Amino acid sequence: MTVADALSVLRERGPDRAAESSLLGEWLLARAGLGEEPGEVTTAPGSARDSVLLEDGRVSGAAHRVPWARDAARVALLVAGRAVVVDRSAVTIQPHVNLAGDPRDTVVLDGVLARSGPGVDREELLLRGALTRIALMAGALDRVYEIAVRHASERRQFGRPIASFQAVQQHLVNIAQQVALAGVAAEATARRAGGFEIAAGKLLANRAALSAGRSAHQVLGARGTTREHPLGQLTCRLWAWRSEYGDEHRWSTRLGAAVARAGADSVYPAITGGSTVVSV
Amino acid sequence: MLRFATSELTAAELALQDQVRDFLAAELPRGSFAPGLGMAAGRDQGFSRALAAQGWLGMALPRRYGGAERGVVDRFIVVEELLRWGAPVRYHWVADRQTGPLILRFGSDAQRERFLPAICRGELSFSIGMSEAEAGSDLAAVQTRANRADGGWRVSGTKLWTGGAHENDWFVVLCRTSDEDDRHQGLTQMIVDLHAGGVAVRPIAYLDGSEFFNEVVLDDVFVPDELVVGDVGAGWSQNTSELALERAGPERWLSTYLVVEQYLREHGAVDERAQAALGEAVAGWWGIRALSLSVARLLDAGQAPVAESALVKELGTRFEQEVLDAVWRLVPGDPDPAAESMFERLLAAAIVGAPSFTIRGGTSEILRSIAARALGA
Repeated sequence: MTVADALSVLRERGPDRAAESSLLGEWLLARAGLGEEPGEVTTAPGSARDSVLLEDGRVSGAAHRVPWARDAARVALLVAGRAVVVDRSAVTIQPHVNLAGDPRDTVVLDGVLARSGPGVDREELLLRGALTRIALMAGALDRVYEIAVRHASERRQFGRPIASFQAVQQHLVNIAQQVALAGVAAEATARRAGGFEIAAGKLLANRAALSAGRSAHQVLGARGTTREHPLGQLTCRLWAWRSEYGDEHRWSTRLGAAVARAGADSVYPAITGGSTVVSV
Repeated sequence: MLRFATSELTAAELALQDQVRDFLAAELPRGSFAPGLGMAAGRDQGFSRALAAQGWLGMALPRRYGGAERGVVDRFIVVEELLRWGAPVRYHWVADRQTGPLILRFGSDAQRERFLPAICRGELSFSIGMSEAEAGSDLAAVQTRANRADGGWRVSGTKLWTGGAHENDWFVVLCRTSDEDDRHQGLTQMIVDLHAGGVAVRPIAYLDGSEFFNEVVLDDVFVPDELVVGDVGAGWSQNTSELALERAGPERWLSTYLVVEQYLREHGAVDERAQAALGEAVAGWWGIRALSLSVARLLDAGQAPVAESALVKELGTRFEQEVLDAVWRLVPGDPDPAAESMFERLLAAAIVGAPSFTIRGGTSEILRSIAARALGA
């Protein structure tokens, strides 16, 4: 399966531990020459709170916000420029969750014997992670759009479907616009996963998550705020993914600095040519 | 459901982009002219003729009428480069964007022969005669009246917000030719000579004192039958398709581009605030451009993406304003419209120009209603 195919599966099916494992964990280990082993491998995203050391083939410390660590067979981490893999059975898990209740565990390593290889640089992991989040977010936003439009046409108040009210229509149009932009981000990064495209794409997806999420909740009213309603599950995941692998500040300053380095004459060529023109 | 599919430019399209960039760098080098903001840029018939010599006016029109038979996407590529350069596009703007395609689609053979080759040569300029005092968003309320006369029509009424009427040759007037139960019937489009007897043009000063918009009073103006566009009474549907053409192009999201580029040229982006603003702006343009380009591809495929166009225009014009606000926040003090700094002049022009972005060519509120209908709402 190509990366583009895997991303499109991610967009269609939503959170999928196996896809996350193949797009991030296995990729990381393959890049470090650590071979293939059976079982899911999850990846520590590299939190600012992490403090992990690698000494004499043993890792110590704690890695935070690791997706589904409790359920994985192995955990991959970046430590001091090397990719490291440890067995799940050799670490202690402190269970934590994200806004949607999905596992984002703390992995405690107490001198665990690890295999390591020449690493992927942290920036590469950031880009790759953002690439997966863009696909996930575009997919979730596709479903948010469907839920909002369907609800607006079915739900009746004041004797007519709420979609007939202009104030509600304005929300639907905003959702459609933001979903379209997130779709651009997902399609374009699946086609060409350069730094420019990923930075711009994550920015658009993040912005869409906040804006369309807010509009959709407004359309759904109180019903969308229950734990069991699918909208809430989607928006909570969107909010979690928004922070993962780069928030707006991180990507906007990085993209802006890269474009500024290229100079004023390169701004428009960058907008049209992306990573073929500017290195982000 | 709305249809947006992203695409890359083909090798031939990229070659055209290079040609336009080379042409502009040679013909209008930076520093040799005062760049303008999008459609509100300068007017220079000599420049329009030079574009025509390249085959870049009336690009989508058939060769027999002087066009290049190139598609909507090719025109998109030329137009985005002209606008982001701040090139003086005003002379040919309306003729190239909408009057040419309108006459090709609905006009008579004689009209095509008479007007299209001249448009493609950069020798005719047009204005739009749609809005009136009581017919803004509700365009079907136009009161300009055409009455039958020997060999043509006698037209009376007052058009408002007619951009460039004081400097252009012709305008296409939407007027009422009969009263019908359905007020969308009985409307007709006519090509009217702005220098004909009975036409009076009065300027309307914009916020900054500039006089581009006009009130045009038509007092018993004779319009011969051969200048009626399409069928008498079919003006509404023709006009609607004309509006769809003018809606989702690069002029809907590039009006403030040069303010950002010139900020970077003069100030650099050294601190995080400026970098963040620049990054947000570039990401936004990247995304909106992809949507706008996908609409151009749909038009090339013979489709009529009315709702998609409305959605992109609404998004794009709001984005132009947001980008402006973000750059404006980076600078202290109020900009001097006559400052030595070109950035400051462009910023000042953009600030006063910005309210019109989300009004001209259909207000945001009307566009959202059009788009909402396509969402099944």
